[in-house]
Amino acid sequence: MTHMNNFQSVYIHVPFCRHRCGYCDFTLVAGRDDLIPRYLAALEREMQTYDQPVVVQTIFFGGGTPTHLPSAELKQLLKAVTTRFPLAAGGEFSIEANPLDMTDEVIEVLHSAGCNRVSLGVQSFDNKHLQTLERDHQGGEISEIVQRIRARIPNVSLDLIFGVPGQTLVDWEYDLEQALVCSPTHLSTYGLTFEEGTAFTTRKRRGQLTEIDEGLEREMYALAIKTLNKAGFEHYELSNFARHGYQCQHNLAYWNGSPYAAFGPGAASYLEGTRRTNTRSVLGYLSRMEQGASVIAEAETLEKEHAMREALYVGLRRLNGMDYTEFQQRFGVDLQEFAGETIQRLVKQGLLATDEKGIRLTGEGVFLANRVMAEFL
Amino acid sequence: MFDQRFIRNFSIIAHIDHGKSTLADQLLLKSGAITQREFREQILDDLDVERERGITVKARAVAIRYTLDGQEYEINLIDTPGHVDFHYEVSRSLAACEGALLVVDAFQGVQAQTVANAYAAIGCDLEIIPVLNKIDLPVTRIPEVMEEIESVVGLDTSNALKVSAKAGIGIEDVFKAIVERIPAPKGKPDDPLRALVFDSKYDHYRGVITYIRVKEGTISKGQKIYFMKAGTAHEILEIGQFRPHMLPCEELGPGQVGYIVTGIKVLGNVHVGDTVCDYLRRPAAPLPGYEIPQQMVFCGMYPIDASDFEHLREELARMSLNDASFSFAADTSEALGFGFRCGFLGMLHMEIIQQRLEKEANVDLIQTAPNVTYQILKTNGEEVFIDNPQEVPDAGSITEFREPIAKVAFILPSDKIGAVMQMCADRRGVFVTTEFLGPQRAQLVWELPLAEIVFDMYDKLKSITQGYGTMNYEIIGYRAADLVKMDILVKGERVDALSTIVHRTSAERRGRALCKRLKEEISRHQFEIPIQAALGARIIARETISAVRKDVTAKCYGGDISRKRKLLEKQKEGKKRMKQFGSVEIPQKAFLSVLDTGNDE
Ligand SMILES: Nc1nc2c(ncn2[C@@H]2O[C@H](COP(=O)(O)OP(=O)(O)OP(=O)(O)O)[C@@H](O)[C@H]2O)c(=O)[nH]1
Ligand code: SF4
Ligand SMILES: [Mg+2]
Repeated sequence: MTHMNNFQSVYIHVPFCRHRCGYCDFTLVAGRDDLIPRYLAALEREMQTYDQPVVVQTIFFGGGTPTHLPSAELKQLLKAVTTRFPLAAGGEFSIEANPLDMTDEVIEVLHSAGCNRVSLGVQSFDNKHLQTLERDHQGGEISEIVQRIRARIPNVSLDLIFGVPGQTLVDWEYDLEQALVCSPTHLSTYGLTFEEGTAFTTRKRRGQLTEIDEGLEREMYALAIKTLNKAGFEHYELSNFARHGYQCQHNLAYWNGSPYAAFGPGAASYLEGTRRTNTRSVLGYLSRMEQGASVIAEAETLEKEHAMREALYVGLRRLNGMDYTEFQQRFGVDLQEFAGETIQRLVKQGLLATDEKGIRLTGEGVFLANRVMAEFL
Repeated sequence: MFDQRFIRNFSIIAHIDHGKSTLADQLLLKSGAITQREFREQILDDLDVERERGITVKARAVAIRYTLDGQEYEINLIDTPGHVDFHYEVSRSLAACEGALLVVDAFQGVQAQTVANAYAAIGCDLEIIPVLNKIDLPVTRIPEVMEEIESVVGLDTSNALKVSAKAGIGIEDVFKAIVERIPAPKGKPDDPLRALVFDSKYDHYRGVITYIRVKEGTISKGQKIYFMKAGTAHEILEIGQFRPHMLPCEELGPGQVGYIVTGIKVLGNVHVGDTVCDYLRRPAAPLPGYEIPQQMVFCGMYPIDASDFEHLREELARMSLNDASFSFAADTSEALGFGFRCGFLGMLHMEIIQQRLEKEANVDLIQTAPNVTYQILKTNGEEVFIDNPQEVPDAGSITEFREPIAKVAFILPSDKIGAVMQMCADRRGVFVTTEFLGPQRAQLVWELPLAEIVFDMYDKLKSITQGYGTMNYEIIGYRAADLVKMDILVKGERVDALSTIVHRTSAERRGRALCKRLKEEISRHQFEIPIQAALGARIIARETISAVRKDVTAKCYGGDISRKRKLLEKQKEGKKRMKQFGSVEIPQKAFLSVLDTGNDE
């Protein structure tokens, strides 16, 4: 394989969880910890396509639940990855973590491997909703866990979910308050979606679970924006809020159209203009890797026009939108010339704002982002 | 020239699917017109739609040679379609013949089009040979079917033929009966020429090919001929027969069936039913022609992209080159812009044309719900025909609103009489007669508004009779009815292309059903969209499409940009088939939903 090593970011997918939560459609296996050794071997093999270490700016371990690995295996994984992809000085090394996995031992493993950012899957502080979401922790445990992490790794982000069936605006306000009490550097808020094939969707179809009203969901999102802004967090991406200087560099690479390598089942990379996605079957990934076969399930190289559309689709997720200069630099094309008509229409509908610098979603556009972005596709 | 004593001309007629084309296959095969190698099922059904749907749409004439007891015969057969939309093809084929094979499925027995087609043949004074087909089926009802033919059609079945077109059983008997029972054509070869134009088709290279049947006289290559009705003169560039492929010859005499090529380029310039004669030696009178087929349903077709208008016009023109029974005229709608009003023989015909347009023309279309032609007597005494709801004048200037009425004959199992009677009564029918065809089958005759028949009655009949009921209809005239134009308002504005003509008593029910359907079809927007049905200024039904409040994808999981993007791209692709109306996007399908709600009970 030729070396596509002009990337600065690496994503590693760790497809293990204790249990598959009812709303989750990610690539993972639950209750198959027996596969962990095979996974570590396969991942090692997949990374071997790079025979020389590549120094990177960001590393992101996502899942699944990376911290679900026993500490020895976790250590082995982090080591394997950082050997192949050493982190540049000042780089960002993130890992997604499940609160109850964060023993002092694990925190130590992470810290000594160079991890400098933890994204904690809190989801809610309300035990009733945690139960609906099928999470294993209690709301009251979070604050203490965050304090312990922070003692070693100060940069902690919390993930919260809103729009849980049965959740009220007051419940959500409580979650936001509790989250702020933990003083994170970064917060991600996700509106719960009913994805095809999940247990939630099945239950919804049977009438056992009711999706919350769209109007309420909007109010919740609006409340998050307002509350977190007031608390000094910048809403820099549709689902993400950060204190000054704490935007997630890895995720920004996605939105900025920078290249990134990715490893593990279901992992998606973007190298030299080509998007590739590995097979989403964990067992399929393992056996193909073991047979030396390709694990790539899909690959697409967008031609320029399509790539420009995609850049807008992705870039508009950033609240400061797409600058004319950025677009010009990336494609050598004037944004207004390329999409002026669409922009004009969306401005008229009050969904997009323009100024001398570029285009961005308006306050209303944020709520209807998919509609805006789809217009550019 | 072939000795006319040994010429036989006949059509094969039947109810749909009773095996006409399959019998034609056998006649072609057994006569040697085609070899076993060339053979394929329903070989005469060579149009794409015919092969796809397994039905005959267009009548086909073929000349074959057959030798019986040492004498060679020329047999001209015409395979006809069974579907009611194409009934006019049967009538014009019959006019070119001395006989007809009435094919009846030995299990299904006499059906609605069996009766209609048999009557048409009787009306032309033809020798009719009843042929019971599909005797190879595991279950047949041969004695009952014979009885039905006797009692309903009034034909003697003592020498009816029993065949299996599929298995090739009894085909020799068919030839024998054709030769012995169908009279040879009359007409003298040296009389002044009179040939009936019974069909035409457009050929890309040769232009219009005119199908003729010589009644009297002789027609030959190079002759200067005159079309008596059209009043045009042409020289015959090519003359020949279908055997089954076009085979040129020098001349055709009395009784012979074939084609002429005269260099005419436009199908509309050849009139089916016209008489061909010699330019100089004209006969006393033309042959009796036949009525032009009547268009039963009309709909609007509008390009989604206005710049496709000219392209669509060209495609429609091309389509009508091959099918003179389909019409189109430029039309405009406030909602849909420039488009065309198109007329069809029936719903199947409409479906076929539309399918061909989609396949061949590559134009994204919005089609409006079909409707029939209405007649309005205005207060100023003027009578106007209206095939577009948008043209209905104000209620104040209408003295009488009339709709087309058809006489419908149903043939059905006796135990379903009650259900069919109820269906007809619900659709404003007037009962005419019931007649029992045997212990288990009956024929019902009703008069019904055409609008209650053409769109979905056939499906309804099939469902209430478990597939055993059949129907045939013919227009008998116009009758006054309490009809009104129902408008649809989307976000307070009338969308003219959604207007329909309905009976006042069903207006509210249909209005409600239509608003509900539109609510399902039109996707939610950023704002609320009221949908209302109105008679004049009076609102009779209302639904509201709520506004979208939030539409955000929370997370692009692990940098997988493609997955969600593809999803949105797909949604966007669907949007291409929508029409922007004010600030509301209305999908193509919504314009047809008018139709689906016609009989929501
Ligand atoms: N078993 C059996 N099936 C037959 C026989 N003749 C025709 N069929 C079948 O009946 C179906 C209809 O046959 P067609 O020859 O297309 O009928 P048609 O009368 O030409 O139909 P239209 O032209 O559409 O009115 C086909 O599936 C034939 O295979 C027969 O003798 N026996
Ligand atoms: S822990 Fe996270 S990744 Fe694992 S199943 Fe639950 S939601 Fe999915
Ligand atoms: Mg046929």
